[in-house]
Amino acid sequence: MLNYIVRRLLLMIPTLLGITVLVFSVMMMVPGGLAASLDLEGGMRPEEREAERQYLNRRFGLDKPAPAQYLRWLNNISPIGCTVKADGTLGAFGFKAPDLGESHFKHRSVISLVKEALPITLLLNLLTIPFLYGIAVSSGILAAKHRGKLLDQGIGTVLLGLWSMPVIWVGVMLVGFLANHDIVALFPASGLHDVRAGSMAFLPHGRAGGVDRGWLLDAVWHLVAPIICLTYAGFAFLSKLMRASVLVNLSSDFVRTALAKGASEKIVLYRHVLRNSLLPLITVAASLLPGLLGGSLIVENIFSINGMGTLMIDAIRQQDRDLVLSQTLVVGLVGLFSLLLADICYAIADPRVSYE
Amino acid sequence: MTIPMGLSTEPTAAPLRSWVAQIMLDTVGRSAARIGLVWVVFTAFLGVFAPFLANSYPLLAKVNGKWSSPMARHLTAADVTLMVAFVLAFVLLAMRRAAAGQRLLVFVGVVVVVGVIGLVVVRPPRTNIYEQYRELKLEGRLESAVAAPLPYSPGDRLRDSFEISHPHPWPPSWSHPLGTDRVGGDVLSQMIYASRLALSIGFISTGIAAILGTILGGLMGYFAGMVDLIGMRLAEIFSAIPTLYLLLLLVAFFERNIYLYMVVIGITSWVGYARFVRAEFLRLRQQDFVHAAVASGLRLRSVLFRHILPNALAPLLVNVSFGIASAILLETTLSFLGLGPADSPSWGGLLNQAVSPGGGFSWWIAAFPGLAIFLTVFGYNLIGESMRDAVDPRGKPH
Repeated sequence: MLNYIVRRLLLMIPTLLGITVLVFSVMMMVPGGLAASLDLEGGMRPEEREAERQYLNRRFGLDKPAPAQYLRWLNNISPIGCTVKADGTLGAFGFKAPDLGESHFKHRSVISLVKEALPITLLLNLLTIPFLYGIAVSSGILAAKHRGKLLDQGIGTVLLGLWSMPVIWVGVMLVGFLANHDIVALFPASGLHDVRAGSMAFLPHGRAGGVDRGWLLDAVWHLVAPIICLTYAGFAFLSKLMRASVLVNLSSDFVRTALAKGASEKIVLYRHVLRNSLLPLITVAASLLPGLLGGSLIVENIFSINGMGTLMIDAIRQQDRDLVLSQTLVVGLVGLFSLLLADICYAIADPRVSYE
Repeated sequence: MTIPMGLSTEPTAAPLRSWVAQIMLDTVGRSAARIGLVWVVFTAFLGVFAPFLANSYPLLAKVNGKWSSPMARHLTAADVTLMVAFVLAFVLLAMRRAAAGQRLLVFVGVVVVVGVIGLVVVRPPRTNIYEQYRELKLEGRLESAVAAPLPYSPGDRLRDSFEISHPHPWPPSWSHPLGTDRVGGDVLSQMIYASRLALSIGFISTGIAAILGTILGGLMGYFAGMVDLIGMRLAEIFSAIPTLYLLLLLVAFFERNIYLYMVVIGITSWVGYARFVRAEFLRLRQQDFVHAAVASGLRLRSVLFRHILPNALAPLLVNVSFGIASAILLETTLSFLGLGPADSPSWGGLLNQAVSPGGGFSWWIAAFPGLAIFLTVFGYNLIGESMRDAVDPRGKPH
């Protein structure tokens, strides 16, 4: 299996390079090319402009052919490589801080912006996975137990319906009806924390004339609506997978043996079948992440959560090119990593499969 | 959803039908698929005949003693082509005798010819003065007119009925059944025209994705080995980056027109089809009939597309149906984020206007367009689900 994991890691390298090539080619296709993202000051005299151009050529290699520009850009974004000196020549090879460029609208380095936004998005998505699995597993078992009956068809249709409901609709309706001070203010309409969250105690506690909800409960209260939006559509796929997996296991030999030796149906279902049926669900867990990240882009925008999604949309509206490109790169890397994780989980969870 | 009794509901008396035709017939026989199909055809009808249904210009008008059709004068080449295509599709579907390939060829040929002629011949006025006929009527110069059922074009912002005391958006009323949006456009009228955008992007981008996926997946599956390895890396690149991010990256810096969206959604969603076709081709390439085809010296193209592909086609169609649903979702999502095609009304774009920056909520702008997206996506998913059951009856108990 170690052999397999090493092989898988090596295969990841071309994909990684492929993602960078993709992002770089979009950058080159953009009207204006690479130079469009650099602040070329207006109102300069011709000789000053010429000097600036020469400086940029030296610094970023804009006068070189595209492959050379790509290698230079790759060196900039990679954490291992040559340091770049101020005059554009390359320094010593080794570990260095990756340089994803500068957001010309926010006047901050892209790395620092991503460092703030990525944990929020990851937290939001990792929180949804347990809910997703809880409901998918139980509805899948229920459907398989009553297969062909009305309940099975009902669950199937309802899940298909939920899957078809656009997140933008559900999100807007939730904000409009349930987070609206004119109608029902069940949930807060935006953000992850109350403005006063900084001064709250961590846990809820009593105070004179009422209960203070505390930082933790406040965060949970803010998370309810976004997490509903992130989870409801995902049930269908997982529940269907669970149902099929339970059905396959129910007709297998070990179930017949267990029933024959006198185990009750309940024990067979929850002890023997359930564990074996969870296998395909565990292995897809990590590969759900790219899809979830896409979904969270919408949810973050509807609920004004300052994660990667909001950053991305803001960056596009402001035509902030480095930010858009680097974010796609970062999200792609996170997605690639989760695909790798899914493959490794698969290898660990199911030793019966051979990987030669 | 109905449950098939036995493996196939198809009577054994019709053995000459191809597998794909059998699957199609079986699918149409299921009630879930029928519900989906009815809604899909209904939205297609609304989209195609939108100029007759919602138009600020009367269908027929009598001014200065002369009858004319202001509606027809304002038709665009796209309007005419769509109508011809829709009618032709029904005519060809009714012609059971002709071969499917021939019918498809006739359809594509006629649509292209009509489209090209339309671009040359049909010349609508450059500027639209929507309130023109309402004003004529007020002045009493409009002697007689046949108005469209909904007398508002999607771009009509009701400038003539502007009142400071009664600002837009207006809630639903008799004259505006689903209300108006923030700039005064009629919501129902925009929804009717938006079904065009959704369906055309859904169909064409899914077509691009399916063709791309079939070719790449087919090559990967048939040749296996090195080709497969490289192809799978390519697929991995596209599945690692979330589709929405990839789409945003591609639409962020380019001029946003509807064709860009068709191509971009197409090239970002081919991976699913490729994986699927690859698996089928990997399975089929070792079968005797393929060996026989290769041994008899057939060209590669013939082996791939005439011998293997038809056997992998029915499962592909299932994915196409789900694919149209997700392409529509992607389009409405992009429009919702304010990054949709410029100047075309979209269900997603309407939804975006429901919550105003000030915090006000106009429920009618959210509820109805959202419902339209939901029903359309649900319709395609129902068709896809029924087709899947028809292709693989083992998945369902009997």
